[in-house]
Amino acid sequence: MSVLTPANRPSRVVELPSVPGLTALYGKAVLPSPHDIAGAVSSKLPFGKSAVPTVEASTLRLPDVTYLVRGVKGEPSHIVDYQRLLGEPVSDVLPAGYVHVLGFPVAMALMVSAEFPLPVMGMVHLRNSVSVARTIRTGEQLNILAWAQNMTGHAKGTSVELVVEAYADEEVVWRGVSTYLAKGKYLVGRGDESGQIDRAEFSAPLPTGRWQLGGSIGRQYAAVSGDRNPIHMSALTAKAFGFPRAIAHGMYTAARALSEAGRMRPDAYEWTVEFAKPVLLPGKVDVSIRGDAGVGGTGAVTYAGWNGKSGKVHFTGKITPLG
Amino acid sequence: MAVSPEKAPTTAQSSTVQSPTLKDAVIVGGNRIPFAKAGTKYADASNQEMFTAALEGLVARFGLQGETIGEVVGGSVLKHSRDFNLIRECVLGSSLSPATPAFDLQQACATGLEAFITVSNKIRLGQIDSAIAGGTDTVSDAPIAVSDGLRKALLKASHAKSLGQRVKAFASIRPADFSPATPRTDEPRTGLSMGEHQAITSAKWGISREAQDEIALNSHVNLAAKYDEGFFNDLVTPFKGLAADQNMRADSTAEKLGSLKTVFGNSLSAPATMTAGNSTPLSDGASTVLVSTREWAAQRNLPVLARFVDAQTAAVDFVHGHEGLLMAPAHAVPVLLKRNGLTLDDIDFFEIHEAFASTVLTTLAAWEDEEYCRTELGLDGALGTVDRARLNVAGSSLAAGHPFAATGARIIATAAKLVSQKAAETGKPARALISVCAAGGLGATAIIESAH
Repeated sequence: MSVLTPANRPSRVVELPSVPGLTALYGKAVLPSPHDIAGAVSSKLPFGKSAVPTVEASTLRLPDVTYLVRGVKGEPSHIVDYQRLLGEPVSDVLPAGYVHVLGFPVAMALMVSAEFPLPVMGMVHLRNSVSVARTIRTGEQLNILAWAQNMTGHAKGTSVELVVEAYADEEVVWRGVSTYLAKGKYLVGRGDESGQIDRAEFSAPLPTGRWQLGGSIGRQYAAVSGDRNPIHMSALTAKAFGFPRAIAHGMYTAARALSEAGRMRPDAYEWTVEFAKPVLLPGKVDVSIRGDAGVGGTGAVTYAGWNGKSGKVHFTGKITPLG
Repeated sequence: MAVSPEKAPTTAQSSTVQSPTLKDAVIVGGNRIPFAKAGTKYADASNQEMFTAALEGLVARFGLQGETIGEVVGGSVLKHSRDFNLIRECVLGSSLSPATPAFDLQQACATGLEAFITVSNKIRLGQIDSAIAGGTDTVSDAPIAVSDGLRKALLKASHAKSLGQRVKAFASIRPADFSPATPRTDEPRTGLSMGEHQAITSAKWGISREAQDEIALNSHVNLAAKYDEGFFNDLVTPFKGLAADQNMRADSTAEKLGSLKTVFGNSLSAPATMTAGNSTPLSDGASTVLVSTREWAAQRNLPVLARFVDAQTAAVDFVHGHEGLLMAPAHAVPVLLKRNGLTLDDIDFFEIHEAFASTVLTTLAAWEDEEYCRTELGLDGALGTVDRARLNVAGSSLAAGHPFAATGARIIATAAKLVSQKAAETGKPARALISVCAAGGLGATAIIESAH
């Protein structure tokens, strides 16, 4: 029995013939979306599009559909590249972060579809939660489901959850919930920042490590994840989106923390991360990755990354045993 | 399948071969070259040249020309790939008999001590009757490797069976692959330098800047005093114009040390305490120690300074911050003492390698902490207090410098002479505890005692 039970999802399933290519999806994402118009309607920001006719309220809903791709598995050499970059053991254990890489394009396809009400470009990854039911092996064929849920008002825009479930046969072996924020788009009113790291509250613990991230780490993770979002690729392309330099993929930092937890990870676990200030590249990140093992311990691993000079937090997260 | 004793296969002999009784492994003496600051006096000297110089000094001191030594064992931490047989090459370049076997060994900063433990054990078992242990390191002549990308492309090209494959291999090289890979002192699994790791341990134990500077000052004062009294005359041979350890500052003062800027732990929430003055400098140098059976030494009319008693290594889980990187000796020593029925009070000389002044202090603090000793070391209570008057009385790495693999034999030779002198003065046996911490959360410790 899996420690995970299937989550509620839209019952209408659209099966895609294969995992879509991310490059093509990004091409779609940078085109102006018709929903920018919808965004202008409910946004309090002056988008200068008030003359546009009102769009039907129904388009402000999330697509009532689940995308499905059957028989997904990674290329062996690609998995090894991922394992080496993240510091995972080169073995037949498929890293939990790699399953995110496999499922991300399916979620992305949903986000760039005409039915999706928020603009994908410039979306901010707020947090991520992955549940792993058991060790997944590299040769396993996975059926990937993806859908969107919980469109919520946020202080800075609208947040939405993209859920990906990976099935091996009839069993949910992996589920990821990625929460994104469409900044400046107030589709369902203003909310608060609940669930976000209280940045003022963060006080750096004694570090257990320090990451020296080179200028190319964004391109390197792009190569193993397929996520070639321009904000990660170079200073020049990042500047176009308002960042002073390229920024590290949030999921790179979370997956590296997961990798460095090493033997402290149980077979079934929940792996969460909250993202705060982006990591500018090249850059140094002080990290603390500590387990609560031993007598009376929960077996959980708590981790955080911050800027050693400014003390500002980049991310915090937890790895908690399941089942 | 287990074999019952009755059905055990019989050999030519009806009983098993008897193990020999253990012999004493004794320290005859040592020789090293003065330790230099990196990039200065020995800037163009290689590990092979430095170790050969230290070895030749030892050969000259004890008249070992043409001798076939049982084994020469040593190593270096920063090593060129061409130096795969570094110690054997040094033997072949020395005036020892070319029939002298040798091998390289490496355990980061514990290399020299581990080499001594290894040869002492062989001698005790009767496998060899004489040995030289030591180590050498140079930061100045450190290997610089090509990047992984370039290396993999070159290897692929050399394994290629066709021109096309070769061209493909070379085509995979990127401009960034041409930047060289220099050796780093960062811990591979944490990315923190050893100094940063120790700064975290210092913060945990609340070690003060003043206490660290005092350790550093004592190191300089004690080393300089021993040079003045001629203690090192038969332990050190000048090399490349250097007659004494270059880093030693006889005129160092608490004020001077107190004026230095902190270099480690500057981004921690706790105040930074570690400076260039209370941390060991990067250094170049080589050292050796001659070990043998009592008979081997007697046959050659050689002195016997001390005998090897026992040794213990340990390792700690530092990767996720459970224990400090350099705290392994704190774990090894209680085991070593207990096995030999000794307590801290039975030790006349504590030779605790000064990787950093605070390494010494966190080790001492740990042994005094009742809760730590119970929960981490599994003891009934605190291990005890080290009498500071017995600590690093001839100076240690803060003053002498610390060419990684060369430190072990420096300490062994120094400690052997200290216990020998003390025993001669008091007519009673004298003992020294040697403790060396190392990268990777490793530590090696040993006890030696006067030989009479």
